[in-house]
Amino acid sequence: MTAQPKTLKILTVVTVLMLAAASLMVFFYAPLEAVMGQVQKVFYFHVAAGWTGMLGFFVAFVAGIAYLITHKHIWDIVGVAGVEIGLVFMLICIITGSIWARPIWNTWWTWDPRLTTATIMELVYAAYLMLRQGVEDPDRRARFGAVYAIIGFLSVPLTFFSIRIFRTIHPVVIGGGDADATGSFDMTAKMLQTFMFSLVTFSVLFVTLLWHRIRMGKFADQLEQLKMKLLA
Amino acid sequence: MEGPANTLTYMIAGFAVIFGIMLIYLVSLLSRWNNLRKDADLLKELEKKE
Amino acid sequence: MNQVTPFLRALGAVVWKDLAAEWRSREMLSAMLVFALLVILIFNFALELDPVGRANITAGILWVTFTFAGTLGLNRSMAVEKDRGCLDGLLLAPVDRTAIYFGKALGNWIFMLSVAVIVLPVYSILYNINLFQPGLLLVILLGSEGYVAVGTLLSTMSVQTRTRDILLPILLFPIVIPVVVAAVKASGNYLAGLEMAEIQPWLNLLIVYDVVFTAVSFMVFDAVVEE
Repeated sequence: MTAQPKTLKILTVVTVLMLAAASLMVFFYAPLEAVMGQVQKVFYFHVAAGWTGMLGFFVAFVAGIAYLITHKHIWDIVGVAGVEIGLVFMLICIITGSIWARPIWNTWWTWDPRLTTATIMELVYAAYLMLRQGVEDPDRRARFGAVYAIIGFLSVPLTFFSIRIFRTIHPVVIGGGDADATGSFDMTAKMLQTFMFSLVTFSVLFVTLLWHRIRMGKFADQLEQLKMKLLA
Repeated sequence: MEGPANTLTYMIAGFAVIFGIMLIYLVSLLSRWNNLRKDADLLKELEKKE
Repeated sequence: MNQVTPFLRALGAVVWKDLAAEWRSREMLSAMLVFALLVILIFNFALELDPVGRANITAGILWVTFTFAGTLGLNRSMAVEKDRGCLDGLLLAPVDRTAIYFGKALGNWIFMLSVAVIVLPVYSILYNINLFQPGLLLVILLGSEGYVAVGTLLSTMSVQTRTRDILLPILLFPIVIPVVVAAVKASGNYLAGLEMAEIQPWLNLLIVYDVVFTAVSFMVFDAVVEE
């Protein structure tokens, strides 16, 4: 494998710096929220992680379509990379959401549409990885992965709506099943800046991770081919 | 008017989770890279022998 | 017209083949049926169904039963094709691949509806409740269509993997959650005699799901079977 391209090296350093800056902003620049106190600070990275997770799954969806059209192996590598990173960040989003919910809504878990949808997504993409593990032939694995990434992503909005209608008809006691109800707050200018910067930071982090993960996928692919050549 | 609730422990737990999971993922990426590099070296040696 | 006829003929042939094979062995339908009745039996004891609580959860029990029995049928229907090499034969046949997909899906749909046709009267008798309402039947028709559309596609994939039988529910259930939610709520509302305004959003959701997933499954089916 060739050495890391210069752009990637720079990007990695920039990402680390941005992450540090975002953390500093969250702790020292953003004001303390008046009702919820310190736990509200989790919110900035919580939303950013959810956004990054969605980005990852969206990348896998697009890569799935691209693979089915072009049959180029690189799209398969991009797809797995997207799913893997999406899973990691969606998990962060779910757990931090739960930690936030505990002091604010007085429960670890509510069947709120967003929370439930995020969890179901996590299950869909865990199934994606299990599906890939069960297939040995690389070409078939790529095709199955692409199909499942497409189907899985399409089911997400429908899942969300089904749970939302479900909840509007049967309101939950806590926060009316809506995250904006209890635990909502007006963002001050400084909060908004911190929030936006966190979003940008996590997007950059996503690009960096995706790039590294794709390079790794390509490397693994080359090794696989080399192995085949030696065995033949 | 009561001040903000004391939710410091929850905040600490939240950030521990955020950075903890990211760290675990990074470590897993790095270890996978290392394994791949080791494999690559091994394969190169085998290639030379032949 | 010339394009449509061979397609329909191929589709009909696939469905006919499945039905004829099933008619001779009756192994799949009987397994699905016994399984469905057992699920209902287990629910009876697990939830201690009583006359008051029953009305609300009937819809839930029915759909859990259909979902589980459906997985059994989907697995079986595809596994038979795979094991006896029929799938390869089908794919070699000079017919449109989508005709194979629609044929298999239609066959599976018929099997699921047959299970429903027997489970409904049995449930009605066991729990003294009339399930034969046109609204409920419509929901079952729509719900099982969406279930089967995705299920046929995913079972075609899962039989080609190492973990086959275990994999199908894991792949299928998170994707069909919207169908189950909408179908349970719509059936429950029909049984409770609620007004159409309460039921309409659920029917809409079911129709959207059916259209989207039938269309997409049929578009990507080629990728799942090509060798």
